[in-house]
Amino acid sequence: MLTKFETKSARVKGLSFHPKRPWVLASLHNGVIQLWDYRMCTLIDKFDEHDGPVRGIDFHKQQPLFVSGGDDYKIKVGLLTGMKIVKIYHNENEWSALISYVSYFFLLCSVLTGHNHYVMCAQFHPSEDLVVSGSLDQTVRVWDISGLRKKNLSPGAVETDVRGISGVDLFGASDAVVKHVLEGHDRGVNWAAFHPSMPLIVSGADDRQVKIWRMNESKAWELDTCRGHYNNVSCAIFHPRQELILSNSEDKSIRVWDMSKRTGVQTFRRDHDRFWVLGAHPNLNLFAAGHDSGMIVFKLERERPAYAVHGNMLYYVKDRFLRQLDFNSSKDTAVMQLRSGSKFPVFSMSYNPAENAVLLCTRATNLENSTYDLYSIPKESDSQNPDAPEGKRSSGLTAVWVARNRFAVLDRMHSLLIKNLKNEIVKKVQVPSCEEIFYAGTGSLLLRDTDGVTLFDVQQKRSLATVKISKVKYVVWSADTSHVALLAKHAIMICNRKLESLCNIHENIRVKSGAWDESGVFIYTTSNHIKYALTSGDHGIIRTLDLPIYVTRVRGNSVYCLDRECRPRVLTIDPTEYRFKLALVNRKYDEVLHMVRNAKLVGQSIIAYLQKKGYPEVALHFVKDEKTRFSLALECGNIEVALEAAKALDERSCWERLGEAALLQGHHQVVEMCYQRTKNFDKLTFLYLITGNLAKLRKMMKIAEIRKDMSGHYQAALYLGDVSERVRILKNCGQKSLAYLTAATHGLDEEAEALKETFDPEKETVPEVDPNAQLLQPPPPINPLDTNWPLLTVSKGFFEGAIAAKGKAGQMAADLDMDTSGGEGWGDDAELQLDEDGFMDAPEGLGEEGLGKEEGGGWEVEEDLDLPPELDVPVGAGGGTEDGFFVPPTKGTSPTQMWCNNSQLPVDHILAGSFETAMRLLHDQVGVVNFGPYKSLFMQTLSRGRTSYLGLPSLPCLRGHPQRNWKDCGAKQGLPAVGLRLSDLISRLQQCYQLTTAGRFEDAVERFRVILLSVPLLVVDNKQEIAEAQQLITICREYIVGLTMETERKKLPKDTLEQQKRLCEMAAYFTHCNLQPVHMVLVLRTALNLFFKLRNFKTAAGFARRLLELGPKPDVAQQTRKILAACEKNLTDAHQLNYDPHNPFDLCAASFVPLYRGRPVEKCPLSGACYCPPYKGQICRVTEATEIGKDVIGLRVSPLQFR
Amino acid sequence: ICATCPGSSVVNMAAQQGDVDELFDVKNAYYIGSYQQCINEAQKVKPSSPEKEIERDMFLYRAYIAQRKYAVVLDDIKANSPPELQAVKMFAEYLSSESKRDVIVADLDKKMAKSVDAANTTFLLMAASIYYHEMNTDAAIRTLHQGESLECMAMTIQVLLSLDRVDLARKELKKMQEQDEDATLTQLATAWVNIAVGGEKLQDAYYIFQEMSDKYSSTLLLLNGQAACYMAQNKWEEAEGVLQEALDKVTSRYLSQLKDAHRAHPFLKDYLAKENEFDRLALQYAPTATA
Repeated sequence: MLTKFETKSARVKGLSFHPKRPWVLASLHNGVIQLWDYRMCTLIDKFDEHDGPVRGIDFHKQQPLFVSGGDDYKIKVGLLTGMKIVKIYHNENEWSALISYVSYFFLLCSVLTGHNHYVMCAQFHPSEDLVVSGSLDQTVRVWDISGLRKKNLSPGAVETDVRGISGVDLFGASDAVVKHVLEGHDRGVNWAAFHPSMPLIVSGADDRQVKIWRMNESKAWELDTCRGHYNNVSCAIFHPRQELILSNSEDKSIRVWDMSKRTGVQTFRRDHDRFWVLGAHPNLNLFAAGHDSGMIVFKLERERPAYAVHGNMLYYVKDRFLRQLDFNSSKDTAVMQLRSGSKFPVFSMSYNPAENAVLLCTRATNLENSTYDLYSIPKESDSQNPDAPEGKRSSGLTAVWVARNRFAVLDRMHSLLIKNLKNEIVKKVQVPSCEEIFYAGTGSLLLRDTDGVTLFDVQQKRSLATVKISKVKYVVWSADTSHVALLAKHAIMICNRKLESLCNIHENIRVKSGAWDESGVFIYTTSNHIKYALTSGDHGIIRTLDLPIYVTRVRGNSVYCLDRECRPRVLTIDPTEYRFKLALVNRKYDEVLHMVRNAKLVGQSIIAYLQKKGYPEVALHFVKDEKTRFSLALECGNIEVALEAAKALDERSCWERLGEAALLQGHHQVVEMCYQRTKNFDKLTFLYLITGNLAKLRKMMKIAEIRKDMSGHYQAALYLGDVSERVRILKNCGQKSLAYLTAATHGLDEEAEALKETFDPEKETVPEVDPNAQLLQPPPPINPLDTNWPLLTVSKGFFEGAIAAKGKAGQMAADLDMDTSGGEGWGDDAELQLDEDGFMDAPEGLGEEGLGKEEGGGWEVEEDLDLPPELDVPVGAGGGTEDGFFVPPTKGTSPTQMWCNNSQLPVDHILAGSFETAMRLLHDQVGVVNFGPYKSLFMQTLSRGRTSYLGLPSLPCLRGHPQRNWKDCGAKQGLPAVGLRLSDLISRLQQCYQLTTAGRFEDAVERFRVILLSVPLLVVDNKQEIAEAQQLITICREYIVGLTMETERKKLPKDTLEQQKRLCEMAAYFTHCNLQPVHMVLVLRTALNLFFKLRNFKTAAGFARRLLELGPKPDVAQQTRKILAACEKNLTDAHQLNYDPHNPFDLCAASFVPLYRGRPVEKCPLSGACYCPPYKGQICRVTEATEIGKDVIGLRVSPLQFR
Repeated sequence: ICATCPGSSVVNMAAQQGDVDELFDVKNAYYIGSYQQCINEAQKVKPSSPEKEIERDMFLYRAYIAQRKYAVVLDDIKANSPPELQAVKMFAEYLSSESKRDVIVADLDKKMAKSVDAANTTFLLMAASIYYHEMNTDAAIRTLHQGESLECMAMTIQVLLSLDRVDLARKELKKMQEQDEDATLTQLATAWVNIAVGGEKLQDAYYIFQEMSDKYSSTLLLLNGQAACYMAQNKWEEAEGVLQEALDKVTSRYLSQLKDAHRAHPFLKDYLAKENEFDRLALQYAPTATA
């Protein structure tokens, strides 16, 4: 039994759950009615309208009403608006002391007339026109009220009718007829209730018994009795969904009974309080019980499903099955059946992907009786009827995997055991006090004690870190285990791997579950919300929930969860808000921008958020309102934007603030504008002075004069060093002596004289000129400052660029790439590709094969190695000095030796490092006599044959030998893994074709040859592939012969007619090599042109026709048709050539002459190239490795060929 | 150590918990190939006894050796340093100078001929390391046979594996597992043996490397091991992924240094030997006729 909520009050005599909202009404013995929110754990409202105990209380099922009946013979109806009881309806009739819990309560008074004593309880049947009542007359009665129904008083009509009803006389005695009288209780019946769906009744009485009754149309009889309570049973009800009965009693206990077995299942006791009433929630698995000093809201069992997530798989327990849900395919299968025997549901699960095993923990009411089961999940299972494998059960509070083959068990003594897959104890670990353990990655655990969580290393047996948080209930690690969320009842703490707290979140409502999304945001649920938390501590609501869910995984905008019925569900959320914040935190402004543009996020709240969180520069770009824009721009020092905004606003205060800001940045042009706009002449004048702008300074002087601002005028003159102007000003303003002195001191004699004359000698004295006076002259500006102060170049923020380029999406995308492209590795690769002379989309495969010599650069890393000269590998000296006690072991058989024994394929021997046998095999099978071209292939293949890995540091490393039949070869039957596959070679053909198309014949030949030579080093599995390998050789041969000939032809002179004839012949032969159409078109065009020029129109026409048959491009076709038409006018050959297109021939690959059918011919044993007999014994021109005409076994590339 | 140092609290905690190996982090970092971390931890830890201090230094200097910083070791270990460290110095000398190797080995042979202090595990390990480098596996195993530490057993396993004696390696591993199955060295040795056994064991080996990467940090040694397992299972693409991760840990500059430094790597030794063999063998074949 899980207590969800408790209240303290006077004795609770009546209870009712609200069908939808998390509310419960409690009516008290002292006349008060309380409305509680059991989720928020708060008292919403109360009212005190009754005198004396209130025993009847009920919420209306559809409407915001409730009704109460008290011992004061009064019935009140409350109307709820929002969370307030706004109105109470009084009804002043005489009621019986006891009132039922029904919505149209007032009818029951008529029913009472049948009983011989007080009616303690009455209740409507949920669907039929029946009422059940229990009375102190020791009977339970069932009443038929269909007569009442006819009076058209629907339950929904309550509030409209209530006022009008003034008495019981609405109901006649015939309205409720006794249908059954159930006798069996020996004392007064306190409670009777219908089963929600079956024709059953449960009753509880002062005889301390709970009785179950069955009824049909004609009669009702007692089914069974549940004995156990040792005082008056005050209330008994059916569980709305399970085969259970709940009863409570004045013996201070609540008991749960199994309906079919009629045995007690659970008992819940209180120390001092007698129970009086029980209530069941109509939809949820919630119950409430009222007792002497309050009420409890409780559940019978935990509803949280046990589940575990690994990769794309969710494992969860439902109805005694372990089920597996594939998140990607939504395939939900039962993978095994659990061993039965526990009456408690599975509490938690730990999944081990390496062994495909699960630990299922089951908590008993008495914690010490808890157990866990270790199951190995069957590899294959029939979902309809899954296996029930034998699990291993042991006692223990919690079991959690700590390694692939180890799990930790917290036993009932709260000590930690490490066990292996056989469920055997491997070791015991002393741990600090601990009441619960959680998974914490390989070899570690999180231990929970009363006030914190400790990260504990199981191997080292020591605590690594501790964090304070009380009563953690669940622990959720991020996928990469870099972060962990610790969930307590009302708090969430997010920590890093070292258990350093990153943020703390408090919730008023219970925290239920959580999962990390792929971007590192923690998504969690409370009883009524899905929320998010960034590791920075920022958190908020994503959406509301009707019912609690248990989040299993978050991907994109999908939240995968299990609901309370254990059904996997997917909820959609809008991740924009947290993604936006995350992008801001990570400074991924491209995403921010994208979201702002596409998600219509712009709003005051976002701007305020950005500003508050210190991103004014980001906010700036989203603001439309000029005033905000202006202040944001100033805040982040963006003068341009501020100026723009100031212009739009054109307010004096703005200009002033802008001026100050601009001055700080030395942006004096803007400063000037601001001073101009605000008509701040003094400052403007001074600005011109310090910037050395004399022209404007003079202008300012003029302006001052016009404005009759003497002081300003004088100052400007002083700044300018304009003495005569100063004299003039002084004179004009009546400062004659000063004017005279100024003029005299500065040596303006003429003016001084003139002034002196104006002095009236009678009244005025001409002042003395100080002979030592020094002139006050401003230094002339060396260089007027007409540009702004230089500022450091600041790379433009993302937004400045992006906003500026609004609309040019492409450009932005490019920018982003530049920003996001990561580590050096990529750069290197990219360069490598460029180095590869243009034509490649170069799969690396080619590099492996050692074309390196020609291409250099990135092709073959090994070639660049500075290999040391011959290294003397010391051979183990062996034990000369035996000590008689210890004999060092002799060398065993290495896998490579096995390979040689097991295979006759050359490549296996090369991989084994047995070059000698490999060469012999190649010699015997395909006639290789010159191994030069094979060297790089051998070395490459050899290096593929083994892996190296480090054992102990500073020691020579260990060897691995990858084998192609590793799964089933055992110790002796191994064969090496061959890196080279037929498909690799075939795909490499494409590059050769491209080289051919590009006219780079020698390169192409080189590569065709490598492919050809590689074919004997293949291992294939079936006949078709053998045929394909042979076909591959043929293709390579045709190209090599043709391209070699063409290369040769181009080198030949074409001066004489004979020489030209030979050229034409060779071009003609080329058209008989078996090439790809795209190449044949080129070949035919060459031949056509040559023959046309030679005036061999007849043969040329033949080429033209063949060309047209290949369907060349329109322009080529048109040209060809023209030539063909020209040829057809004169279908003759001017010269006799050694070429007969109609007589089939092979081409000698050495002399490039036709070998017509039937003539003797020698062939290359590998390539099958043909030669004139004189070439027998020489090296094949195509392979450059094999001997022409050699007698061989033949190509062997598959074990099939040896059977 | 100052109280505010990160890690000091860990040390304190460890000290409170009795049978905790105070040098665990140092040793562990060394064994999984996280040499710099080993050095950092060694410099941070405060050994509780002189013996522990020597042991700490031993791992410290061996980590330097693994980083090829021989000079540090040669300079730091003085003539009056304890015999354990002298052994480490000997190994450093051996590795640092190719020319002196013969002398060092001869010297070592002499020492081994006399009775050896079997309690000086370090000496045994260093001696065996030298013999193993010399490919004198007999002497190496003989030396290791005298020691009983986990590391002696682990090294024995490595030597046995290089002799293709998987059968004996398994026996030795069993001994290790009996001593301490969950020790890092035992786990690593299990992985080596599993790779040699092949088949289904390859996946187990992979898990061992992967678990350690998860738990501590993914070092080159561990990634290399993972890649070897993948390749043995013919999972080439996965192996490439792991190797790429390993490469990403090494800057390209460092890589070229490695190439230079690893001339004596067995792989390259073999490669060169085979190349010469190829040339020699190829001479045995010739076409019957020449053009």
